[in-house]
Amino acid sequence: MIEIRNLYKRYHNHHDSPWVLKDINLTIPSGVSVGLLGRNGAGKSTLLRLIGGMDSPDRGDIVRNSRVSWPIGLAGGFQGSMTGRQNVKFVARIHGAEEEIERVVREVEAFAEIGNAFDEPVKTYSSGMRSRLAFGLSLAFDFDVYLSDEATAVGDRAFKAKAKEAFKARVGKASLIMVSHGEGVLREFCEAGIVLEKGRAQWFDDIEEAIGVYHQATDGKKVEPPKVPTSLSEAKQQLMQANLEFEQARLDYQIASDDPARNDPDDALRWRVEESRERMHEARRYVQQFQSQAKAKPRKRTTKTTKKTGRP
Amino acid sequence: MAMEVSRSDSSQPNFAAPSGGGARSSWRVARSVWFALFMRETISRTMADRMGWFWMIFEPLAIIGVMVSVRGLFMSGRHIAGADYVAWMVVGLMGFMLFRENMMRSIGAIEANRGLFAYRQVKPVDPVLVRCFLEGMLKSLIFILFITIGSLLKFELMPDYPFGAMMDWLSLWALGWGMGLTLSVLGDLVPEIGKVTRILNLPLLLLSGVIFPVLYVPHQYREYLLMNPIVHGLESMRMNFFSGYHTIDGIDMTYLWFWALALISLGLILHTRFRDQLKAH
Repeated sequence: MIEIRNLYKRYHNHHDSPWVLKDINLTIPSGVSVGLLGRNGAGKSTLLRLIGGMDSPDRGDIVRNSRVSWPIGLAGGFQGSMTGRQNVKFVARIHGAEEEIERVVREVEAFAEIGNAFDEPVKTYSSGMRSRLAFGLSLAFDFDVYLSDEATAVGDRAFKAKAKEAFKARVGKASLIMVSHGEGVLREFCEAGIVLEKGRAQWFDDIEEAIGVYHQATDGKKVEPPKVPTSLSEAKQQLMQANLEFEQARLDYQIASDDPARNDPDDALRWRVEESRERMHEARRYVQQFQSQAKAKPRKRTTKTTKKTGRP
Repeated sequence: MAMEVSRSDSSQPNFAAPSGGGARSSWRVARSVWFALFMRETISRTMADRMGWFWMIFEPLAIIGVMVSVRGLFMSGRHIAGADYVAWMVVGLMGFMLFRENMMRSIGAIEANRGLFAYRQVKPVDPVLVRCFLEGMLKSLIFILFITIGSLLKFELMPDYPFGAMMDWLSLWALGWGMGLTLSVLGDLVPEIGKVTRILNLPLLLLSGVIFPVLYVPHQYREYLLMNPIVHGLESMRMNFFSGYHTIDGIDMTYLWFWALALISLGLILHTRFRDQLKAH
C-alpha cells in the first residue's frame, strides 16, 4: 500500500513557481495496477518520481509500505566506461543483493539478449541495447510495485512484446503504476486510474471511468472504449472513421491557431489532434493485421498442395 | 548522522536480510551503497582508463621529478637543514597532493554520479564520501610503495617517527575530506566556485611550503602564512619524517584539526540542507 498525504510539490523557476501538485491525498492499495492520466505538464511524471522517492515533496509525505522500483527502463544510471555486467552488479549491490548477485546477473543477461555486448562498455551500446539492459535489470528484482513512465520505456516491437509478457507473468505478485498516453496500454495493464488536473488528483476504481473523465476534461468529448474489429471490412470502416476524426481535429486546431485572439492555455485542441492521430494509427494497424492474415492464408494452402503433389 | 535517517524508508527490495520481510536498516542500506560505489569507483579509476594503474604511480613521480629539477636548476646550493631536499620535497608533495586530490575529485563527484540518484538509496553525499575514501587509500598505497622502493634503493625515506607521520597523513586526509564535502556542494550549486578552486591550486601549492621552505619567508609574513592549515600539516609531517628538521615556530596540529572538523561539519550540514537541489539539478 502506498499512502500519499497532503502532498505539495513545485519546481523553482526564475519567474514564478506555481504548484505542480497541490494537496494530493491518495491511497493506492497493494496489488492494484494504476494508470496515471493527465495532459503534458499536469504532473504525472512528477508524481511518479515522488512515489519512487527520486524527488522529495515540498510538503506532505508519502508512506510506502511496499518495495517500490525505480522507473522501469531508466538507463540514466549506467556508467558508460563500465561493462553491462559491471553496471548490473553495481545496482544489485545498492539493493543489498550481494549474496544473489550471480542470479541477478544471469537473469539480466538472459532477458536483455544482447549477447557478447554484455561484457562491452555501456557507452558502445545503441539506445535499444541500453533499454534492454535497463528493462532486464528492473525485472531481476522482486518489487511489489513497479513504476513505468512511457518517456523512459523504449525499445522495438518484439522487445516490447517480451516486456509485456514478463509483466503478465507477474500479475498477482506485483502491481504497476504507469504513466502513458497510450490508452490501449493503460486498458491492458491497469485496473484503476488517477486523473491529474490542474495540480489535483482524482482516484477512479475503474480505468475506463478515468479515461472517460480525462477526455471530458480535455476536449469535452465522450470517448467510448475502442472495439476490437473482428473482420477486415470492420477494421477498414474503423480506419475510415478514425481518419475522418483526425482530419476534423486537425482542421479545428488549424483554425484555432490562426486566430490571434485565441486563449487556450491547456492546448486542448492540440491534444485532441494527438489522440485522434494515435487512434488512427491503431486502426491502421488492425487493417494491416487483417490484410497480412489474408495474404498468409493462401500461401499456406499452396505449400500444402505442392507437398501433396510431390508425394506420389 | 542526520542524513542517514532519510534512508530508512521501508521500500527496499529485500534479498540479503536473513530474517526475510521487513526493511533493511538505514545503516545497512548506507553500507551497501558505499560498498557498491566503492567497487564502481575503484573499477573506473583503475581498470576503465587505459593504463590507469601506470598513471596513478607515474603522475606523482613525474611531478616530483619536475619539481626537484626545477629546484636543482634555480636554487642549487641551498640546503634544507636536517633533511635531504629530494626526500623533503617528496613528503611535502605527497601530503599536498593527498589534500588536493581529495578536494578536486570531490568537486566533480556529484555531477559524475547524477544518474545514480534515480536509485533513491543513493544520496549526493555518498559519491563524495566514497571518492575521498578511495583517493586516500590510493594515495596512501602509493606513498607506502614509494617509501618501500626508496628504502630498498638505500634512499632514506623511512619516517623517523612513523606514528606521528601517520597521524599527520590522516590529518591532511581529513582536511581534504572536509574541503571536498564543502566544495562539492558549493561547486555544484555555483559552478564558478569549482573553476576558482582549480585556479587557486597553484598559488596554494606555493603558499603551503611544498617547494620553498617556509623558513625563507620573512618574519613579519609568517603569521599570515600560518593561517593556512596545510602548512601546519606538511611541516609537522616533515618534522616526524626527519628528526633533524627545523621549521618555523607556531606549527600546531590542533589548528589543522579545527579546520578539518569545521569543514567536515559544514560540508555535512550543506549536504543535508541542499540534498534535494543537488539531486534535482
